[in-house]
Amino acid sequence: MTEILKTIGKAEIRKDAWQKAAGKALYTADIPANNLKHGVVFRSPHHYARILEVDTADALKMPGVLQILTAEDIPGDKIFGPLVPDQPSLAQEVVRHLGEPVVLIIAESRKEALAAREKIQVTFEPLTPVFDPVLAAKPDTPQLHEDGNVITELNVQDGDIERGFEEADIVLEEVYHLPRISPGYMEPETSLAVWEQDNSITVWVSSQHPFTDQGFIAAALDLPVSSVRVKSSVIGGAFGGKEDSSLSILAALGAQAVKGAVKLVNNRRESFLAHPKRHPAQIKYKLGAKKDGSFTSLKVEAYLDTGAYSSYGPAVGMIFTETLTGSYKIPNVQVDTYVVYTNSPISGAMRGFGSPQSHFAVESMVDLMAEELEMDPIRLREKNILHPGDKIFTGVIINETANSLPICLKNVREIIQRFQAIKPSPGKKAGVGFALASQSMGLGANVPDDSTHRLEWAPDGRILIHLGSPDLGQGLATAAEQITAESLGIPFDQVVTLELDTLDSPNGNVTCASRMTYMAGNALIDASEKLIQQLLIHSSRILDVPVKNLLYKNGQVIKPDGSKVPAVEFVSRLAEESIVLCSESTFSFPYPEDTTPQHLPIGMPHVLFCFGAQVARVEIDPELGTVDVTHFAAIHDVGKVISQAGVEGQIEGGVATGLGYALYETMLQKGDRWVDSFTEYLLPTAKDLPHHYENIILEVPEASGPYGAKGIGEITLVPTAPAIANAVYDAVGVRVTKLPITPERILGFAD
Amino acid sequence: MKPIEVIFTLNGKDTRVSSDPNRTLLEVLRNDLGLTGTKDACGGEGECGACTVILNGKPVNSCLLFIGQVMGQNITTIEGLSEKGDYHPIQKAFVEAGAVQCGYCTPGAVLASKALLDNNPRPSDQEISDGLSGNLCRCTGYKKMMDAIHLAAERHSND
Repeated sequence: MTEILKTIGKAEIRKDAWQKAAGKALYTADIPANNLKHGVVFRSPHHYARILEVDTADALKMPGVLQILTAEDIPGDKIFGPLVPDQPSLAQEVVRHLGEPVVLIIAESRKEALAAREKIQVTFEPLTPVFDPVLAAKPDTPQLHEDGNVITELNVQDGDIERGFEEADIVLEEVYHLPRISPGYMEPETSLAVWEQDNSITVWVSSQHPFTDQGFIAAALDLPVSSVRVKSSVIGGAFGGKEDSSLSILAALGAQAVKGAVKLVNNRRESFLAHPKRHPAQIKYKLGAKKDGSFTSLKVEAYLDTGAYSSYGPAVGMIFTETLTGSYKIPNVQVDTYVVYTNSPISGAMRGFGSPQSHFAVESMVDLMAEELEMDPIRLREKNILHPGDKIFTGVIINETANSLPICLKNVREIIQRFQAIKPSPGKKAGVGFALASQSMGLGANVPDDSTHRLEWAPDGRILIHLGSPDLGQGLATAAEQITAESLGIPFDQVVTLELDTLDSPNGNVTCASRMTYMAGNALIDASEKLIQQLLIHSSRILDVPVKNLLYKNGQVIKPDGSKVPAVEFVSRLAEESIVLCSESTFSFPYPEDTTPQHLPIGMPHVLFCFGAQVARVEIDPELGTVDVTHFAAIHDVGKVISQAGVEGQIEGGVATGLGYALYETMLQKGDRWVDSFTEYLLPTAKDLPHHYENIILEVPEASGPYGAKGIGEITLVPTAPAIANAVYDAVGVRVTKLPITPERILGFAD
Repeated sequence: MKPIEVIFTLNGKDTRVSSDPNRTLLEVLRNDLGLTGTKDACGGEGECGACTVILNGKPVNSCLLFIGQVMGQNITTIEGLSEKGDYHPIQKAFVEAGAVQCGYCTPGAVLASKALLDNNPRPSDQEISDGLSGNLCRCTGYKKMMDAIHLAAERHSND
């Protein structure tokens, strides 16, 4: 029997949209504060240099200047890092990338702080930087950190690749290069810190995990964690780039130094240099297949450039590694992944977390293999896709969710036929291509991956969600509200999500890894059941009826005679007794011991995956080499749609970001600097998106998911670039192995 | 520099500010007038459209306008669209079409859309994408924004 769902699956209107559309939503930079001071950061003008002397004397004399801080002035920990503490809040002795913070200036106004920054004199001794991760990984290259340049080396193998290649009739090898790209969120990093008279501090952040900021701030300021209160503001996008703390620590140090309120805001140029980018990757990919199409062996050697500090690089290396077999069963696999420090700006978390890089290699290579085998690329994929029960090279058994893969391919076949029937515009060459994709959910085995959230029944009858993880703009709060409303059987508009505040909110863990609807959803379903139990226990006392004789349904308590009492009557009465109905629940990402392989490094493997496919039709001007994506279809399995508008928004936005990765975006080095503005770094605009676009949303339930839901946040940009690259090949016969697919590359003027 | 007095019409009201003449309209709106609905996403370089306001019926980047340039002009910011407590039909359409995600680009995109529809009540897809091309958004892929503009246009013509 299937129960008719009331709000799950509906295109509910997100509640924050009204304030946002009215310009009234307060982002961190908008929050007013009394007697506000302003901080600016003096950043390294060198890629790599020794700091010989920092002279702040002249700057200190400038009007309005209140404090100037260097690393020496940090009372507590001078180093932080989400996985490996290797990143100085302010550089000491050495700077390892252009734009690294060296000095913090606090002044009465931003203008005065900027003027004082001009007077900061730092004497550097430039050192020879290294930007190529392959070169950096060699032992005779100067080492940027004590433990060497290779921060993570992952060697994962399964079967016997030599035998696998011997069994193959065709072996293909290619090297793929992926660029450094920016999360490109519209709201640059910012933080406001207010020092309180009781020697505690309140810090507003735009962060994917305010509890991480809280810990880093406490450590840097040498304060107990209980003296640091971190509040989440409305967040203007994050896409992984706001998993790292940065300005929050500096704003807090500034506020502590002036014993007042200090705001820091990065401008876009600072943001480009300061915040984590998608890892550039170099992937040597060798695949063997039999004449019948079955894959026999895969060998990969890959280098990921994590830049000057590790950020989430080691973890990105893991998901990158685990997704190198894509959606396919390959019996013999050897992967060697090196995550390497260089003097480039930091790479870290970004939507997809290694999977967009791996999939460009996988899906480009599979198309190439189909061509060599003279086989239909859909047929080749059908032959090799994963099925439930298949074991991949990490030892993970794929679950029923893989049932979505044949459905994806069936849709691809139908769409390709339609797209191929469209005639090219005059003077243009048209092509159609597609790619499959897989994306893991969760933080990985043996990493704490718990998520706690709380419900409160307010005396006015509304349900308040104390959501332990911030909504980054993607719509987590709406999904949480729909799941809660459904679980309690009350209207969606009666459920309200509160902004995260470490003083009061439970810790839901970092909003990332395509798992927030899954984690928060499961916790909130459980919390709803607990809340109902509490309500019934109190109702039993008030009504003097045994609890076993009471029922709860749709916001009402049902008495033994069948009469119904609205829950709000009990809740408001309890409020008079100072009793608040509250329930909290923790959901832990499931890594069952008996089925989770234990032979891999901590953080591996990931055990749940989502799948999808995308189809692109392109038109190319053969003289100019310009690519126009005219038609596009995105097929994604979400298990169960929670919020229709949210799911579509995730897919459409992901495709746009994937299209940027395919065609435009690359944070190039230009002479002594990095591309650091939207004039040179091209985000897709409304004019660049496909004229014809369709979403196909599949619902193959994930047994462990809330109402069957699985993740959708990241996978939506994973197949985009290889689908477009395969379409480009179909149109003009050029196999591009380096992103972005520029006109120069199509015309053969650049490698 | 010596402050100048600038008198202009802001959201239908006569407004007088005293400001250093080399400051931008964006700075004055956000810092002096507390109108923080106008956003800064590119650092005042005119690349992103988050600071879009309407100047005499045309969408402009307020980060590229010196405050002196608005002397005597008519400026509408996002706050001016829902001043009487009711939302403008374009704001409603953005909300109802699901065109709002993180929302940081939304005020600018709403104003660009208003300027577009005021001049062209039934725009084509091409005209909409041209009209929105100065407003960067990383969340939505623009599709639901375009849907929203069509929705607002249809509702207007049905009125």
